[in-house]
Formats: sequence, structure tokens, C-alpha cells
Amino acid sequence: MRLTLKIWRQAGPTVAGRLVEYIEDHVSPDMSFLEMLDVVNEGLIKKGEDAIAFDSDCREGICGMCSLVVNGVPHGPDRGTTVCQLHMRRFKDGDTITIEPWRAAAFPVVKDLVVDRGAFDRIIAAGGYVSFNCGGAPDGNAIPIPKDIADVAMDSAACIGCGACVAACKNASAHLFMSAKISQLALLPQGQPERYRRVTAMVAQADAEGFGSCSNEGECEAVCPKEIPISNIARMTREYVKAALTASK
Amino acid sequence: MASRSGVFSSSVGTKIVIGITGFALFLYLLIHIAGNLMVFFGPAFFNRYAYVLESNPLLPLVELGLLAVFLIHVYKTLRMFLSNQDARPKAYAVKRPAGNPSRKTFASSTMIVSGLWLLVFIVIHVKAFRYGTEYEWPAGGRDLYRQEMENLSNPLMVAFYILSMTVVGSHLFHGIASAVQSLGLNHPKWTPRVLLAGKIVAALIAVGFMIIAAWVYMNQPGTGRVHV
Ligand code: FES
Repeated sequence: MRLTLKIWRQAGPTVAGRLVEYIEDHVSPDMSFLEMLDVVNEGLIKKGEDAIAFDSDCREGICGMCSLVVNGVPHGPDRGTTVCQLHMRRFKDGDTITIEPWRAAAFPVVKDLVVDRGAFDRIIAAGGYVSFNCGGAPDGNAIPIPKDIADVAMDSAACIGCGACVAACKNASAHLFMSAKISQLALLPQGQPERYRRVTAMVAQADAEGFGSCSNEGECEAVCPKEIPISNIARMTREYVKAALTASK
Repeated sequence: MASRSGVFSSSVGTKIVIGITGFALFLYLLIHIAGNLMVFFGPAFFNRYAYVLESNPLLPLVELGLLAVFLIHVYKTLRMFLSNQDARPKAYAVKRPAGNPSRKTFASSTMIVSGLWLLVFIVIHVKAFRYGTEYEWPAGGRDLYRQEMENLSNPLMVAFYILSMTVVGSHLFHGIASAVQSLGLNHPKWTPRVLLAGKIVAALIAVGFMIIAAWVYMNQPGTGRVHV
């Protein structure tokens, strides 16, 4: 396959970037999208040029590191798929593919296609945790949890924190990300002690980081590699209202 | 812990305020269109209905409340729009809608445009009807029927009204469903139905108002046009 690639190149956080065009002649349809970029990089390195920086780690759709906007859609055209699991057979010979980083004020570009997602870590640190005493591992079945509740909590817990929801949202909102963690912990007994402190603190942190609000379009759900639904965002709103109504101070 | 005043200015609180005020405005529109449909029953009926409504001592209070709800909705949405713009200072070179199950539509992408259009429309509309020329109706109150006939006698004005009703329909097409989600209501079985119903009601409201405007224009007294 022969492809024309338009890739965002930016030398550092403070310098201006631009789309640079590359022609790649030897792309196999069996390559993953990131392997295709590896091939492009090998060519660049051979020519003595700077390789394209992009994030990846597991390359099997579970870590949430890969983060490319492919032809205007975060993680590319496949539903429920990270870009590391996207394959070149999804494209045609002669295609032009535009590759950009996540775009959000809260996700500044580090280099080329790599952005700093530390804002997500700070949101989690603000409240996305549970506290318990150390000691021997507790009996997994000691606390009964109804199956339907456990299922919804598990679906919310599937979030890998990649940030595609932010990248897709026209407001660069982190509501789907936050709501997944808030839902997961609000549904389970282990999440109860910090339940209302959590939602208030996480929303405040996300706002402080400069993420936008939510217009209920649901682009986030459509690009989420774990297909986390926006019903979580509705649950986050309910949690937020309950927290406001029951605030002790 | 966020202060109580801060609750409504957070990104979640803002949604709630916009959702509540938007939903209240939608309920008002339902009452509004129900009242306007009375015009089909002729001047006596229409003016009588208006008189009963206007002689209610609570009306000024309701009007003030409506104005407050409207202004809060406008203020909060504008503030939200501007801060949302700041959240993505650098636009994508290429951006495509992600497709199913996204609820993104032309209507949802143009809420700020339809909203600002309606802001202008409402100023013109309220000026013409609430503060327009007043005619006395012998049986009591104003001759609102005549006022409506005159306000909608100019074809350009009628065209502006019909166009604006398309904009109302578009705003509600996303707005009703959006308010439901903003208020945190979500039920696996009922939500899809409520969302669909919201879209149908949006279309019905728009078409209903259009029919009223067109009917008034086509039934001008003393113009030789059909009068039923
Ligand atoms: S690299 Fe781990 S999810 Fe894509």
C-alpha cells in the first residue's frame, strides 16, 4: 500500500507546530497503525531526521497510552478500539491520513503527537481512590454486591484513562473520564466513605485544569475504546447534586 | 468542599442550571403554543382567553420569573460557551463526527447560533406583541387578535417568523434531550423514548407555530384573502 501521511510535527511545548507530509510506499495491510508509524520512523532515522514522537506502551488496547487523532477521529475509524489495535487493512491504497495529537488546553503537546495527560492523574489524585487499612488480603466474597450493580461498576472501571473522550469533545470536557471513575466507586461499598467528597473534589480539579463543560453530544462515548456510556455522566450529575445537598460544611 | 455558591458555577453545576432553565423555557413554550392555537377560534374567543390570562394578578410575577429564567439561561450558556472555547485553543486540522452512538447532530453543533438567533428574535417578538400598538376590545382587555393580524401582515415579517420557528425547532431538537441528560436523568428503558419524544415535540412546536403564522397571514381581514 502507498499512503500519504500528514503528521503533526512540533519540536517542543512552546514552539509552533505544523502538519508535515510523508509518503510511505511499503505499508502492509497486516501492520497495526503504530507499526506503520514505526516503519515511517525507521525511514526518517536512516535519513538522519528526527523520528516522530508518539505515545504507546502495551500495544494491545489495555494501557491507554496510545493517543492519536486519525482523520479527525480519536483512535481512528473503528468503534471500541484503541489506535494501537487499529490495522492498516482498514485503509485503502492511495489514502491520505491526517494524524494529530489530542487537542485540549489541559493536554499540552510535549512533542509531535505526544501530549501531557498529567491533568488526568491530578483529577484521580483529587478523589478517584478508596482508603482502607493495610493488612491481609480481604475475602473477595465477604461483602455481597448484587450482580447487576457489579456489572455496571465493572463497565465503568473499564476506563483506561486514554483521554480520547476529551479529544473528541468539542468542549474538551473530561466529564466522561471523571464520571467513569466516580460511577465505579459510587456503586461499590468500598467507595462509600469518600463518596461525596470525591465527586466534588474531582469536578473542581477538572475545572481548575481547564477542561470544558459538557454539551451532551456524546462524541466521547462514540470514540471511547472501552465504549463507556454517557449514562455515567448523568450518574455523576446525580452524585454531584447529592453531594451539594448533603455537604456537612 | 465546594461552597454552595460555587456549586452552580462548576462545569457540572452550570449544566444543571442551563438544563433547569432550558426545560422551564420549553414548558413555557408549550403553554405559549396552546394559547396561540386559540387564534383559530376567532377574535372573540382569542381576546377573551387573553383577557382572562392578563387579568390574573399574579401575571406580573410570572412574567418577571420568566424573564429571570430566560436571562439566567442566556448568561450561563454564553459563559459556558466562552470557557469551552478556551478549553481547546488549538483546533484540529481535520475533525469528523464520530458517528453512532453519538448524539451529535447539526442541531447540537449549532446551539450557540440558534440560541443567539432566538435572543434577537425574542426581542423583536416581545417588542411587537407585548409593547406594540394597543387596541381596545369592547368586551374587555386588548384586541390582541387585531394586533396579531397586523403584526403578521407583512410577508417579510412572516418569513422571518417562519425561519425563526425552524431555529426554535433546531434548538429544541437537541435542547430537550440535552436538558434531560443535564439533569442527571437516565434510565436504560425510558431515556431513549424520552429523547425520541423530545425530538418529536420539538418538531411539533416548530411546525405548530409556523402554521399559526402562515394562517394569520393568509386570513388577513379586508385583504380579499380567504377568511375562514
Ligand atoms: S498502547 Fe496501550 S492501549 Fe494502545
